Amino acid sequence: MIDEATLAGGFERALRAHGVDAGTRRAATFAETLRRLPPAGMREVYWRARASMLPSIDEVDAFHAAFLEFFGALDDAEALRRLVQGVEPPARREAGEAPKRESVPPRPSEREAGERVAQRAPTQLVLAAVDERLADRAFDELNDAERAAMLRLMRRVRIAAERRASRRRRVASHGDRFDFRATLRGAARTAGELVRRRATRRRTRLRPVVFLLDVSGSMASYARALLQYARVTAQARPAVRAFAFATALTDLTPLLRRASDERLMAALGEAVRDWGGGTRIGAALRAFNDRYAQRGAARGGTVVILSDGWERDDPALLAREMARLRLLARRIVWVNPHRRHPAYEPLVRGMAAALPYLDAFLSGHSLRTLEAVADAIEGREG
Amino acid sequence: MPNAVDVAELREALLRAGYVADAGLATALACAVTLERAVLLEGDAGVGKTDAARALASVFGAQLFRLQCYEGLDLAAAAYDWNYGKQLLAIRAAEAAHERTPDLYADDFLIRRPLLAALGAPRERGIVLLIDEIDRADDEFEAFLLEFLADYALSIPERGTIAAAHPPIVVLTSNRTRDLHDALKRRCFYHWIGHPAVEREIEIIRMHLPGVAPALAADVARGAAALRARELRKPPGIAESLDWAQTLQILGAGRLDADVFEPSLGSVLKYPEDVEAARAAARDIVAAARGERTA
Repeated sequence: MIDEATLAGGFERALRAHGVDAGTRRAATFAETLRRLPPAGMREVYWRARASMLPSIDEVDAFHAAFLEFFGALDDAEALRRLVQGVEPPARREAGEAPKRESVPPRPSEREAGERVAQRAPTQLVLAAVDERLADRAFDELNDAERAAMLRLMRRVRIAAERRASRRRRVASHGDRFDFRATLRGAARTAGELVRRRATRRRTRLRPVVFLLDVSGSMASYARALLQYARVTAQARPAVRAFAFATALTDLTPLLRRASDERLMAALGEAVRDWGGGTRIGAALRAFNDRYAQRGAARGGTVVILSDGWERDDPALLAREMARLRLLARRIVWVNPHRRHPAYEPLVRGMAAALPYLDAFLSGHSLRTLEAVADAIEGREG
Repeated sequence: MPNAVDVAELREALLRAGYVADAGLATALACAVTLERAVLLEGDAGVGKTDAARALASVFGAQLFRLQCYEGLDLAAAAYDWNYGKQLLAIRAAEAAHERTPDLYADDFLIRRPLLAALGAPRERGIVLLIDEIDRADDEFEAFLLEFLADYALSIPERGTIAAAHPPIVVLTSNRTRDLHDALKRRCFYHWIGHPAVEREIEIIRMHLPGVAPALAADVARGAAALRARELRKPPGIAESLDWAQTLQILGAGRLDADVFEPSLGSVLKYPEDVEAARAAARDIVAAARGERTA
């Protein structure tokens, strides 16, 4: 019998090979668990391993693969397979619960969408003369060298950061709420006389921003650019999420901050591969609403959707999900690069279905127009 | 180190306490209690996360402290606060009697909130601390909790560090409205509570509602499973199945049939769209619930 620490360490490496980052602390916990609660049979090993080594239910498939590979080499592999298959499959479809807090939804403006979508003058983008020509070029017209330069320049685009009042408070000389604790602590020093009034004021927090990027067909190069913008934003401030969609929804958020450029773009490439002609925007939105927005991912924040609005399915589903999102998010910004053409009209059925629910409808096709997107995220009329 | 808790025995004991746990949940709880480490329970609303902590407390005869999380939860609400009114009076009283100002930070003036109270277990496994819906708290609180869970101690500036003689059994729950920091998750055992299998759900219904006929309990469990298999905004949890079974019982139904299905839907589905969808598929769902054919 190998000792527990070796076993746990080996399994931790097997997990890592399958992309599950459990870490050495969990491995140490697993070893201790095996020592304190010696398992009788593989079924018990399985549950002890799962309780101590599985970081999240989302990774259970990879966990099973690693478990079969690692323990299959030590034990009867076929019996293990039956064991893993016999484990009650977790409910994977995650419909969230109803929104519970601060749920006064922003009212959709009474004005017509076309009116609300005001023309925005781009705010100042500080660029050297050499970069100037890149600022107005559409993202899908760039060659590789220019694209690399553009990604670097992305850091200079203004980061959208809108604040709201938090429920946390901090000491402030002119706060709006009396601070008993601090005042009394002061009073103890002045023989019980309340000499100095102390108060607290609400802190502010950044509102969440969610990017939903359509990666189908002609949108891919714009998705790359906007993903880079999401990344720059996420590196500068918290509460930024990004998703790619074509027919299914992929969460890119875990990669946004730390992964290398190559890894991030490769993940986007994976999402593109799932595109088999035609986009299911409504279905992707529905998945986003069910799994994320309804649980609060977009609450009080802005959702930025990049898409040309070519919907393969029934646009009624898209309209229904937009209406839901309208109630869950504070603001919805739609970025459609085709809008840069002066003669553009939102005739595509999907686009027409979504239009009534938008707060802003922008082209966002170049570095300069991204500034307008930053304004729209903050709800500023550019 | 306290004695190890046997998984099978714990499962039995939970059952006696009125909680039906599967092997995975029983293992996670047994590990957490044995190793004196927190356990994080995740799952959809209404699958019995909070009840697991209650049952655990009853198994060990422990006192239960529950901390409901919300954004902005701070130390004054979670850990401790000072009784300012009392402090002020003490100062005035001492002044009137021409005495020295009393120690304003003595035990008398300390208000113990759940986290601090949970450190005062009189014996081993004497307290269960339930930190409910940790996903609703903010990053600052999570960071604080990290310290708290590392050594089951709290430092109060006016008093110094207060450490637990016997660490509490800590249960955290999350509905996954957001991702928790991995640093926190690494310190916990983890279990995802899924929707129960039909047999387990029948067991749960009959345990909680002994008055419900076995045939009706089975219908409700199968019916709930059929509803969960559909695309609903809020699939029913165990709490909803129990409500449903009770409603049907009050309606005087011996089995689930088309006559009582529609009128009782409000007890199990919480969105008008979901009720509409279930109504449209009423025939299939009722048939599945009665075990006649699958929906």
